Amino acid sequence: MAYSDKVIDHYNHPRNVGSLDKGSADVGTGLVGAPECGDVMKLQIKVNRETNIIEDAKFKTFGCGSAIASSSLATEWVKGKTIDEALAIKNTEIVKELSLPPVKIHCSVLAEDAIRAAIGDWKKKQETTKLVAAEAK
Amino acid sequence: MIKSTLTPISNKPLPDDTHACWSCGAMRAEHFCESCGKVQPPAPVDYFTFFGLQPKVNLDAAQLEEDFYQLSRKLHPDVSARASAREQEWSLEQSSMLNDAYRTLRDPIKRTQYLLRLEGVELEEQSKSATEEARTTGQVKKQIVPPGLLEEVFELNMQLEELRMQKKVGEDDLALIKEIGRQKLELEEKYESLLEELQKYWKEWDGLIDRGREAAADERAAVIKKMVDVLNRRNYIRNLVRDLTSALES
Repeated sequence: MAYSDKVIDHYNHPRNVGSLDKGSADVGTGLVGAPECGDVMKLQIKVNRETNIIEDAKFKTFGCGSAIASSSLATEWVKGKTIDEALAIKNTEIVKELSLPPVKIHCSVLAEDAIRAAIGDWKKKQETTKLVAAEAK
Repeated sequence: MIKSTLTPISNKPLPDDTHACWSCGAMRAEHFCESCGKVQPPAPVDYFTFFGLQPKVNLDAAQLEEDFYQLSRKLHPDVSARASAREQEWSLEQSSMLNDAYRTLRDPIKRTQYLLRLEGVELEEQSKSATEEARTTGQVKKQIVPPGLLEEVFELNMQLEELRMQKKVGEDDLALIKEIGRQKLELEEKYESLLEELQKYWKEWDGLIDRGREAAADERAAVIKKMVDVLNRRNYIRNLVRDLTSALES
C-alpha cells in the first residue's frame, strides 16, 4: 500500500511533536489507542481562558505513518480554533485531506478521539477549577 | 476488519439438515455425496460448519489436521481430472475454502477472532460509531482498553525511543537497558497470563455452546465481551514485547 504525498510529508516533517505541561489548568491531555493495531496517540491542547481559543497543540504518536500524519494534521487544525470549532472536526475530513485508504480510516478516528479526549480533559479541569474557586469563597 | 458475510451462528441450519446430491439424488454429507461419492457444490457455510464442528474454541487439533489432509486429497485436482468441468470447479472452490478454513481454525487465536467475527464483533466499525456518537452527544468516548494500560504503553515507547536515540549516537545507558530488559520480562509474563485468562473464557464459551439453545443471549454476549477485552490488551502487549526485543537487540 502506498502512502499519499501528504501522509509522507507529515510523517517526515511532523508538525507540533512534543508535550505541554500536563499539570497546567489550561492544558488538556488526550491519550487514546487503537487496540486492533496497538497504536497509541497523545494529543495536548493549551487553551486561552478568556477566548476559549486553542493557542497551542502538541502530539506524540507511536504507530504507523497514517496515525502519525493524522495526529500531526489534527494539531495543525485545532490551533487557532475555539473549543467548539475544534469539536466540529470530523475524522472524514482528515481522511479526505490525507487521502487515507479504507484500511487506515481507523487512524483518522483515533485522531478525532484524541482531540475530543483532550478537550474533555480540559473541560473537566475548568469545572474543578470553578468548584475550587466557589469553595474558596 | 472486513465485514463478515457469513451466516451468524444462530441462523445456521441445524446439523441434521441434509441436501440431495445433484448427481444421484441421495442424501449427502457436506463435501461429497455419501452415496455416490461425487463432489458437491460448495455451500456458503462458516469454517466450523465446513469441518462439521460446533462453534467451540477448544477443538481436537489432531482430528482437525487429519480431516484437513483427508479432504485435501479428495479435493485435489488430480483426483477430479476425469470429472466434468463443473465438478472440477466445485472441487477447486471447496479446496480453497478448505485451505482458508484450516488456516483460520488451526491457530487458537485466529480461531477466537473468527468466532468473534461470526458473533458480530466488528471492532473498527464499533469504534467508528462510538466516535460518531461522541460527536453528536458531546459525551466523552470510552476507550476500550484501560487508561492505565495506555499510559504504560506510552511511557515504555518513550523509553524505547530514548534507547534508540542513544544507540544512534553510540551511547549505551546501561541503567536504561537494564530497566527495559526488566520491563520486557514483566510484559512477557503478562502476555502469558492473558493467554491463561483467555483460556478460561474459551471454556466458558464452550460450556454455553454445550448448553445449546438454553444458554441465554446475554450470557453469550458477556463471554464474547471478555474475550474481546483480553485480545485487545494482548495486542498492545504483543507489540510492546516485539518492539522492546528489537530495540534491545539492535
